[in-house]
Amino acid sequence: MADQILDAKGLNCPLPILRAKKALKELATGQVLEIQATDPGSIPDFEAFCRTTGNQLLESKQDGKIYTFLIKRTA
Amino acid sequence: MADNGLYILLCSGEHEKIQMAAMMASVAAVSERPVQVFVSMNAIFAFDKGAAAEKRYHGGAFSKLLCSQHAPDAMTLFHQGKELGDLKMWACSMALDIQGWELGRLDEGLFEGALGLTKFLSDAENGQFVTL
Repeated sequence: MADQILDAKGLNCPLPILRAKKALKELATGQVLEIQATDPGSIPDFEAFCRTTGNQLLESKQDGKIYTFLIKRTA
Repeated sequence: MADNGLYILLCSGEHEKIQMAAMMASVAAVSERPVQVFVSMNAIFAFDKGAAAEKRYHGGAFSKLLCSQHAPDAMTLFHQGKELGDLKMWACSMALDIQGWELGRLDEGLFEGALGLTKFLSDAENGQFVTL
């Protein structure tokens, strides 16, 4: 269950990543952010973002043109 | 010894290159990479405070698409990179001098100051260097 939901649908690269970073900064360590995006590069982008920032990508899924990610703030 | 810093030398006034510099700088900064951007030559005109977008940006076919599709403005991306990560921007002291501009002429809150190319190259010696 997410502590906060970020609707990044319709935003072009790199705005979903920038908005996610901002939202994660406002969460406490251990809290989870859900991100919904439509940018077709979202899956590898968020995988790379979590790898480089040290945050944990709990879930990554695609439903049609909607991508949903669950990221736990660990960094 | 290598560092993981990204150093961007931005000298083109083309909208597409300025946009790519802003995208690279902001994404790298929020991905925990330290970034420094050195702005010189025609690129300096894009940072003219208060100038209309059509005066700041000159580009080709993709520039028109960026405008018509309401892509995020490059200045907004630079600002967000600074807000959310370790992004420093420097105005080329030579470009300011030749143009007769003071630092205050440039977009507010973006630049740490004016810098010479020698110092920027020296700082970038062990990082990843990109020229646009």
